[in-house]
This record gives sequence, C-alpha cells and structure tokens, in this order.
Amino acid sequence: MTDTAIAAAALGKRFGRRGGWALRECTFRLPAGRVCAVVGPNGAGKSTLLALAAGLLAPSEGTVTVLGTTPGEARARVGFVGQDKPLYPQLTVAETLRMGADLNPGHWDAATGERIVAAGELNPKSRIRTLSGGQRTRVALALALAKRPELLLLDEPMADLDPLARHELMGVLMARAAEHGTTIVMSSHVVAELEDSCDHLLLVGGGRVRLSGEIDDLLAAHARVSAPAETDLTPHTVVESRTTGRQLTALIRPAGPLPGDWRTGGRLSLEELVLAHLRSPEAPALAPADTDKPEENAA
Amino acid sequence: MSALTLAAPAPPSSASPPRQLRWLLRLHRPALYAWTGLVVVLGALLLWLGGPLTDASEAAWKQYNACGMAACTYDQDAILLYKDVARYTGSAVLVLPFLVAAWAGASLTGRELETGTAQLAWTQGVSPTRWLAAKLTLPAALVTAGTSLLALLHHLAWSAGQGRVDNTEPWYSVETLYAGGPVLVALALAGLASGALLGLLLRRSLAALIGSALVTGVLWIGSFLVLPHLWPAVTRVSSLRDGPSGSGITVAEGLLTADGDRLAIPRYCGSSIDPACGTLFDRLGAVSFYRDYHPRSHSWPLLLVATGILLAVAVLLTVVAFRVLRHRTADRKGAAV
Repeated sequence: MTDTAIAAAALGKRFGRRGGWALRECTFRLPAGRVCAVVGPNGAGKSTLLALAAGLLAPSEGTVTVLGTTPGEARARVGFVGQDKPLYPQLTVAETLRMGADLNPGHWDAATGERIVAAGELNPKSRIRTLSGGQRTRVALALALAKRPELLLLDEPMADLDPLARHELMGVLMARAAEHGTTIVMSSHVVAELEDSCDHLLLVGGGRVRLSGEIDDLLAAHARVSAPAETDLTPHTVVESRTTGRQLTALIRPAGPLPGDWRTGGRLSLEELVLAHLRSPEAPALAPADTDKPEENAA
Repeated sequence: MSALTLAAPAPPSSASPPRQLRWLLRLHRPALYAWTGLVVVLGALLLWLGGPLTDASEAAWKQYNACGMAACTYDQDAILLYKDVARYTGSAVLVLPFLVAAWAGASLTGRELETGTAQLAWTQGVSPTRWLAAKLTLPAALVTAGTSLLALLHHLAWSAGQGRVDNTEPWYSVETLYAGGPVLVALALAGLASGALLGLLLRRSLAALIGSALVTGVLWIGSFLVLPHLWPAVTRVSSLRDGPSGSGITVAEGLLTADGDRLAIPRYCGSSIDPACGTLFDRLGAVSFYRDYHPRSHSWPLLLVATGILLAVAVLLTVVAFRVLRHRTADRKGAAV
C-alpha cells in the first residue's frame, strides 16, 4: 500500500493522431483512503482521466501511476464503473454477478454484490436488457464493489439514480470507504452532489487540472472580498473579479493579510469556488497537494 | 496459434482458464448452438450423400448405361437428388468461412467495443490481452474442429462417388478443392482473425461484419487465382492433330515451334484436322501443342501450400489485433515489464 492512490505526471491523451487533446499536461496526486471528487463541465476530460487510471486507455504522453504501479498491473485491485454502465444485456442479474465471481477469483465478495442487488429489489433472474438505467447502475456498482477494490473509479455514478437510490448507494460507498479504507474517485458535473461526501477535489476544465487538493484546504486558500472599485488587488492572486458601480467583488487567493477596509464575504461554498474557476479559464491552477508533498511516482 | 504466446503472463490473481471459459461459453451460447447445429446438419447431409444417395445414384447410372441406345426406364430421381444434394452441401460448406468471419467481426469483438462491454471485462480482472486471447482460442478450436470434420466428410462423400456415379464433380472443381480440403479450415481461421481485428479497429459491429466478410471474399478469390501457381506445373506436348491435352488445372497452353518457341493458339484452330488450320500451323512453323497443367497428383501440394499461406495470413492478422489492442490500452506497459 502506498499513500498515493493515483499520481499523474504531465499526463495527456489525444484521440487520433490529429485529434484534439482530451487531456493535457495533467499533474496531480490523489491520496489513498479518501473520497475524491473529479469535477468539471461536460467534455472536460473527466471520463478520459478515469479511463486512463483504469487502464482502459493508454496515455499519449506523460504517465499515470495507480496504487504505486501501472494501471495495467493494478487492474485486479481497481474497480471501475463507466459512464454508460456497460453490462452484457443477454445475461441475467445473477449470471452477471457469477461472471464477476469467475473473473475475480480469490477476491470476490459475493455477499456484498448480492446485498446491493437485493436492496434494489431486483429479481436475480431478470435479464440486464430489461432493467432501467438506475437498476443497471445498481448492478454495475455491485460488480465493482464485490470485487473488493482498493481503489474505486466511478464515472458519473449517480446520474440516473432516483434520489432515494442515490442516497442509499452513496451510503453504501461511504460505508465501504470508512470500513475498508477504499479510495473512491467519482466524477460528476453536479458539484452539490459531491460536496457532503467528498473530502478531496480535482477540478478539470478544458483538459487541464485547475484545482487539486483537500476541499477544506482549497476553501481556506480562497476568499471572496468586496472592496471599493479601482482597488489594486495585488499581491493576491485573482481568480475572478467583477465591478458593479463603485463596488468591486472578487474571488482571490490571499497572499497575506487582507487590508481592513476589504469586506470578506463569509464562508465560501464549494460550488462558488468551482464556478468561479470555470468562469475564468485564465485563472492560474492551484494544487496544494503537490506542493506540500513533493513525492514523485512511488513506483 | 503462435500469436497466443503474446499473451501477458498471468498475474497470480487473474481468472483461471476454466472459469474464463465458462464465462465465454455463456456469452456466446447462441453462436455455439448455431455452429454445432450447422455442423451436425451439414455433416449428416454429407454422410447421406456419401452413403445411401451414392448407392442409389450408382444403381440408376448402371440401369441407364445398360440401356444403350434403346428406350428404357431408370431411376432419374436418384441421379438428380444426388446432384442437388452434392451441389447444395458443397455451396453450404464453402459459405462457412464467411459466416465465421461475419460472426467474429460483429459479435466477438465489434459489439463488445461498440457497447463498452469489453471495458467491463477489462475492469473485472481480465487484462485486454488475455481477453482477446480467450476470445480467439476457443472459437479457433471450435472452428477448426467443425470445418475439419465437414471438409473430411465432403471429401469422403466425393470419393465415394468416384468411378461409381458418372456426374460427380471433377477433382479440380471449386467444390472438391475448397470444400473438401484443408483450405476450408485455413480460410475459416483467417476469417475469424480478420473479424476480430476489424472489430477492434472499427469498434462497430455492423461495419466489422461487412468488412470481415469482404476480407474473407478477397482472400477466397485471391487464393483461387493464385492456387495454380503455387506448385510447378507439368507440361504435356501433343500432336497438332490431337490438340492440347492433359486433364486437370490448366495454367497455360499454346503451340510449340521447332525451336521451342511458344505461340498463342489462333482462334478457332484447336486441331489440324481442319485443313485450313493445318495450313495456318505450317505457316506459323508450329510442330505441336503444349499444355502446362496440374495433374491430379498435384492436388495435395497445391492445397497444402495455399493452406499454409492462408494460415500465415491468419497469424499475421492475429498478431496485428494483439498489437492494436495493446497499443490502445494500458496493457503494453503492464505486459512489457
């Protein structure tokens, strides 16, 4: 076990030789044992990032290290649920779980899989093709969790679940993380969905990492301030600023104590922080995790 | 297949072959049933053809030949039934490589990549390399077994009619050469490999289905065109009066001059029986006809060389499929260690 679940160095992925870059120059480190949110708008590269970590795609440049080794070597220790929740439509629910048991001998937890499926009141004899989107998500999560992964990669896992199922399955995931120390990395474009359950954030925008770190640290590193118009905000890093009449409102990363005449706007929400960064693509990236632990690839 | 040695060494926790096999058989159960049914039905028809139908047809031919010029009755239905069954079973056996190719392209790899279920397998403890190895090995074994059995039965049914039934196909007919020989097996394996490769490349089942059937067609026509040149031909020289002679697969024929030069046969002149042709031959300085051809003794060398080439193509396509997969997924780094 290393204390790093995923480490990426200058990671890039381009589809086709002349295609555009889905991901470029991504360097970040996700600590093990945390619940990490990968957030970004549609098409930001979240799915590509997760597929690279799962060993489903080969990077075009740079490296990604998963659980201290290559994604290919870590395959048996990593669970993955893709955005489309692919399952074999011709198999029944029970056969799907049996396939998981066949393909993961030695580390298959049949009881977990059956429990998750049973909680959704799914008939084990139902064919996958007859299930609704939410029911398929449940089966896909059961497959991924019963594998007893050390790292669970979930791409938009809750997108087609009803609120009740979402709450229940999120509970299952959090219990898993708490009991077994499983690292969970889940992507979403709905920030509110992740704020309560995640403690680490990776914000991806335009194929690059914009923010990376503990959510509390990231929130503490930013402040929303109001000051008279034409105030010089240097030496603080400005993420976003807006002038309305004689008032200037800005989201900044304070470089030191703030002047007394600036009013700070109370506690910043994660959604505010994320939106401000997405609205201002030119704002510099911040990744405190990299600075406080200059550890290179553990492999 | 030698390409399977490319498979990455099994990590200790990966699925053992029997359990992988069970999963593969479950996934492709309809195809397995269809293939078994097809082999059984065609095999039964070929046994029927080689046994009872050949006997009945032989008896009918004996009746017919005994008649001489006089009007008489003979069992024409037996002769026609033999002919129909021989033709249809021969065609059906020849279609098998196309069916294998289409299935491999559409269902084996194409659909899995199209729907993302390949990714499901790859994140369930089976590396992409092992996934493809399993996906190729089992169908290759079943295809080899099925096509070998049918080619053998076709050959036996054809042999049973030799010298007994007057309207059997000659040894050099397409049906006899391809449906009753090892080329069928090699073509089916090449079809399987092309389907698997195109499924990986195109990632769409319909496109891969059409593509692999086309590739198999090209290989089929290509081997048909190349076959006569895969073994040195025999030259038979015959008199101007007899015309070119030598029965088998003809590679070239023409006129020979006294110096040994080879000339094309003038149109409508196949023999010097026609005085006009005789005069023409004299004017050209031709002294005899020649024909380069393959007699029946060449049938095995020709078929074995063609089979070898097709098997080499199958191995090449398989190697490319593994390379494509490893290049595309993170397996190349995992496997290279």
